[in-house]
Parts: sequence; C-alpha cells; structure tokens
Amino acid sequence: MDSHSTDWRAAALSGPRPGPAWFERQWVMPALLLAVGYYLAARLGFAFTLQPHPISTLWPPNALLLAALLLAPARAWWWLLAAALPAHLLAELQSGVPSAMVLAWFASNCSEALIGAALVRAFVPGRLRLDSFRNAGVFLLCGALAAPLLSSFLDAALVKLIGWGHGEYLELVRMRVFANVLAELTVAPLILTWAAFGLAGLRRAPPRRYLEAVALFAGLLAASLVAFDLPLVDANTAPALFYAPLPFLLWAAVRLGAVGTASALALVVVVTIWGAVNGLGPFSGGTPQETARDMQLFLTAVAVPMLLLAVVLEERGRATRDAREQRLQLTHLSRVAMLGELSGGIAHELNQPLTAILSNAQAAQRFLASPEVDREELAEILRDIIAADQRAGEVIRRLRALFVRGETQFQPLDANELVREALGIVHGDLITRAVEVVPQLAAGLPALAGDRVELQQVMLNLILNACEAMSGAEPGSRSLTVRSRTAEGGVQVSFIDRGPGFPAGQHEKLFEPFYTTKPQGLGLGLSISRSIVLAHGGRLWGSATPGRGASFHIYLPARGAA
Amino acid sequence: MRGKGRFEVQACVSVVDDDALVLRSLGRLLRSAGFTVNTYPSPQAFLAQGAGDTPGCVVLDLSMPGLSGLDLQKALASSPDPRPVVFISARGDVPSSVAAMKAGAVDFLTKPFDQEQLLAAVHAAIERDRSARIAREERSSIGERVATLTPREREVLSRVVDGRLNKQIAAELGTAEKTVKVHRARMMRKMGVDSLAGLVRAWTVIRQTGAQLP
Repeated sequence: MDSHSTDWRAAALSGPRPGPAWFERQWVMPALLLAVGYYLAARLGFAFTLQPHPISTLWPPNALLLAALLLAPARAWWWLLAAALPAHLLAELQSGVPSAMVLAWFASNCSEALIGAALVRAFVPGRLRLDSFRNAGVFLLCGALAAPLLSSFLDAALVKLIGWGHGEYLELVRMRVFANVLAELTVAPLILTWAAFGLAGLRRAPPRRYLEAVALFAGLLAASLVAFDLPLVDANTAPALFYAPLPFLLWAAVRLGAVGTASALALVVVVTIWGAVNGLGPFSGGTPQETARDMQLFLTAVAVPMLLLAVVLEERGRATRDAREQRLQLTHLSRVAMLGELSGGIAHELNQPLTAILSNAQAAQRFLASPEVDREELAEILRDIIAADQRAGEVIRRLRALFVRGETQFQPLDANELVREALGIVHGDLITRAVEVVPQLAAGLPALAGDRVELQQVMLNLILNACEAMSGAEPGSRSLTVRSRTAEGGVQVSFIDRGPGFPAGQHEKLFEPFYTTKPQGLGLGLSISRSIVLAHGGRLWGSATPGRGASFHIYLPARGAA
Repeated sequence: MRGKGRFEVQACVSVVDDDALVLRSLGRLLRSAGFTVNTYPSPQAFLAQGAGDTPGCVVLDLSMPGLSGLDLQKALASSPDPRPVVFISARGDVPSSVAAMKAGAVDFLTKPFDQEQLLAAVHAAIERDRSARIAREERSSIGERVATLTPREREVLSRVVDGRLNKQIAAELGTAEKTVKVHRARMMRKMGVDSLAGLVRAWTVIRQTGAQLP
C-alpha cells in the first residue's frame, strides 16, 4: 500500500505536462496503480468473506478509492474512477456474480468514495492530511461514517432490485455499513498517513526508531494472535484477552504517531478477521452474521479512539516543537541584535592584533633591509605575529559561536569560565566605554549543566545592560563587579553596576517583553535571558539601590540537581 | 618619507599602550626607523617612570583601562615637559578624536595604521617638540637676562620698546638724558641684543611668558 501512496505523492507534486486539455499524463501512472490496488483489495475483500453464505467482513476497495480521491485534486477524480472500473470487473466477474450486480456495486462503490471525498473536501480543502484533530474528525465523520452509511442505502436497494441478496433491506444496509466503516477506518488512514509520511519519513527516522517499530509490531502480532487466532483459551476468558493488543496500540499512538497507529490497527484488523474467517478466536462460534457484526463493532470501537489519540498526540508534539523552535529563533535573533551592539568593541578587539601584525611585519621588513640582521629579533617578531593572529582567530571563533543558530545543547560547564569568556567577548567594549570590571570569582564552584552559548548570551546581556546604565556616569566611577559564589547547592553569578539603578517596584517590569529603557532597545534582552535561565532550571532577578546602582543575579542549579 | 635627520637620532618616542603585543610591535617599528623608544604598558607606568631626558614625543593609546589616554594627555600638558602626543585608537570614534585634537594632539591614527602614517605623525610631533623646546629655551634665557637687570634698567627697557626717545625717557624718569643713555647701553648689553629690533623681539617673548616689568 505504501508504495502506492508515495507514487501518489510524486504524481501530485509533478506539474501538468503538455497534451489535450482532457488528458493529463501525470494521472496515468497513479490511475494504473489504483487499478492494480483496487483489484488486489477486492481479492482481499473476497478472502475476508465468511462462509458458507458469503458475508463480507471488510471491503477494502471502497476505502482505497476514497483515499485515492482524497489525495488527488477533484479534476482527476473521474480518471481514477474510470481506472478502477476494469479492475472491478476483472475481480467481480471471476466470482460468478451477475453482470448487472457487478455494475451496480461499482456504482455504489464509486458513490461511497465520491460522497466521502466531496464531504471531506468541503471541510478540508486540498489533500487530506491526518495531522490535526479537526482533519481526523472530519475524516471520521464524513469519510468513515457518512459516506458508508449513505451509500449503503443505495447498495442495499440495488441488491434488492437485482434480487441477488438475501435477507431484509435494513439488515443488508447494516451489514454493508459495518463492513465499509471498518474498511474506511483501516485502509484509508493507512494510505493517507503513509502518503504524508512517505519514503522521506522512513529515511529521516533514526535506527532506534526502526528497532522500536520492529519490537512493537512483533509484540502486537503476538498479542493479536494469542487474543484472536489461537485456540489457547476457552470462550469465557476470551473477552479479557481482547485487551492484549491494547498496550501495543497505545505504544504506537504515543511513540509512532498516526502512521504507526494506522499500521498497527491494520495489523490487528487483518489478524482478527483472519482468525474469524478460519473459525478461530473469540468471534467464531455464532452465525456468520453475528461473527461479522461483533468483530466489526469491536474493531471499530478500538480503531476510532486509537486514531484520534495518535493524531492528537502528534498535533500536540508538533505544537511543542513549534514553540521550542520559535523560542530558539527568538533567542538567536536577540543574540544577533546584541552582537550588533557589540560591533564597536569587536572592531577594537580585531584592530589590536591587526595593528600588531602589520607593525611587526613592517618592522621586520626594515630590519631585513639593514646591513646586520638580528635573527633573534626576527624570531621574536614572528612569534608575536603568530600570537596576534591566533588572538584575532579566537575573537572570530567566539563570535561565530554566538552567531550560529543551533539546538540547545546541555553540557557540563564551569560558571567562572563562562564569566571569563563573556568578559573576553566584551573586552573591547569595556575598554572603549571606560568600564572597569572587578571580578570576584569564588573558587571551587559546583559544575553546571547548560547550553554554553545561551548562558553566555545571558551574561553578555547583563554586562552590556550594566555598561549602558553607567554610560552617563563619570568615567572614573564606571565599575562593574562580577561575583560568583556557591548558593543553594548551585551557583549564583551577580553583576553589580554603579549606574543610576531603577525605581523600586520596577524590578519585575524589566523582565517583561518589549519593556525597554534604551532608545534603540528591543526590550527583549532580559525577557529572553530570563526564559533561558528558567529553561536551565534557574532564576534571574534584579535588585537596585536607586541612585547607587543595580544588581542582576543568575542562579543556576548544580549539574546533578538540575 | 623624510631621511634620517639629526632629530631622529636624538629623539626618543615614548609608546603607551595596554596591549602588550601592540606595544612591542610599535616599539620595534619605531626602533627600525631609527628612533630611541621607551615603552610603557599603562599611563600610570608612564607617569611613574617619566619620559626621560631625551627630547621627543608620546605615542598614546586612546582607550586603556583605568586612566585613559585623554587623561594622560591632560596631565602631560600641564607638566614641565609637555611632549607632543600622537593618539592611536582601535576604535576611531569621532567625539574622542575631536577632544584629543582640541587638547593639542599632533595626530589621531585609527588602528590598524600603516607605518607611513605613524612615522609621518611621529616626525611631525618631534618637529613640534623641537621648535617648542627652542622657544622654551629662548624664553628662559631671555627671562634669565631680564632677571639681571636693575630696576632702573627695566624702566628704561619698557620705555625703549614703547618707542620713546632717550629725551622723553629722561623726562619721565626725572633724570639726565646722558644717564638714560648709559642705562640703555648697559641694558642692551645685558639683554644680549645690539639693535632696537632685537630688543623688541626679546620683549615679545617675555610678554608671551607673561613676565611683568615695571
């Protein structure tokens, strides 16, 4: 089935090609595949027929047709239905059904697919993806319930009209509905989810995920076989065993998403029906009608909540991922904005070694032009050039680490080293802004766990804020104390400036997004800094003595405690 | 580039920069151009050690931790040995360069600069130092000579440079014209000048130093 679905994807993605208006070559291959699939599905449907009087338990061709329509644009629908006709005739005429009945069934099959596809499309335009609760709900109500229900009246009426069927009209309707609903629940989600997942999804999955899927499906197969196929237990304990596949289905819903759940459900359905068809398992023993009905009701009752659960979990997981992605983007953006503020200091930090390199090289040229060359002096010059070059490289390396947008990576960190690195990055700014740093770094601090770049971003933000706050002060009085100490089993790093501080009662407002006191500020620095520290299990807060300076403190838990 | 004149040999360039690599490289470059070089890792070190007796200039980094280049320039200007300053800065911001030039800097170079720029600025600074020293020496020697004059000779001096005739001076001082002639001749000899033009020039120098005469 999955190979179909990927071809569908390819067909849907490729653009229209030249040819007569009514003829679209891009649908030839999908239509052929649909025909083959339809034929095989019909054979499978025949195989899943209870004897002696043929009662179909699962009729997959309709569901296959519906899934095909849901994946294709409406203008291709007639192509697809036309392609299914030869397959339908080929499959049905082998079974000795009258020609009129064969054609009538094709009409009712097509009507089911068309009703379902049109209803679903009315609510969800475009290719249907079972990736949200709404889409899944629309599919279940329109595709899996309304379409089989409405078409079954037509189907049963045609059967009565042609005189092929036995039994009451409503009983015929009920049997058709149950068989078709189960097929829609089993086959259509399988195709729709695999069409969305595709080969790309398989390639993306890590090897761990493959192992997990193998374990899950092996366990599910074993549990389903025990529960529904093996005559191991007597009929009285059998209902308890109905729940045996449930843990595996839940596992699939939680870990493997909609595509894994749809696949797992298909496995359970096939195993269960196979058991019933062969007279095994808890559903055999009654009349064929009872067997089919009980089994279909049971499987439907399992499939609906499992599918919805898987879709909801996947949707929620995606929302969480989106939120994290947005946080990462915002963090990165504010970091880049901060680097813009640093640019003057960065120029300073690069110009120093560049000056040293140029002057050394030009001095060397002059020494070489003199009659006596001091080799010792030249060696020293080269040593200094190398040192200056390495220093410039280090400046660039540190900056690049801040520019790169990456996933949050937790690693063991030393708080003092972080402080020193941050001070190294702003070294040029501190000098040009005439800010004197007083480091008071305690020894023997516990190790931290965190993202180096993000925590550096927090420290840089606090240092730059402090510099900014003191820009109005006398150059001699611009002093920033950076203090680290062990606190509450973690580390507290404080940044204490001698600026004007901030008014009492403002200390929480500072952390609100878009609150800023700087003319060019975005007002995101402290807000993002706090979210970074919170994500590390720590706290970030500020305190101030108005007129005498502000202090900002980061508390981060020790490595094991986070 | 100018050739090595007599001043390069005698001139000493003091380089003040907190960055050890930059400091060493500038020292080498200036030495390679024939200067005597003293290097100082901080303004404080410069103030503590002094620039030495050899005339010359100071190459001064603008932004250093603690005392800044502008602070040192101020301290230097009011010292007895006010050497000209060439500023260098890794961050050429306009306000501090304006402040530096207003305070009398010879040049303001933005790092990284070419040797031509630095050497040209240093030459200009040394030239300025040389002429300033000559002017200072002249002033002090004239001042010394003025100090040897008697009060009466000073009175005569101020009136001679005002353009008075001996007869007018004698009338003002209430003495004989002959006596004024004697005072005037002695005053001219003590001042080391042999013409009225030379006396007026010396007088101008004295006026510049703000010396007071009766």
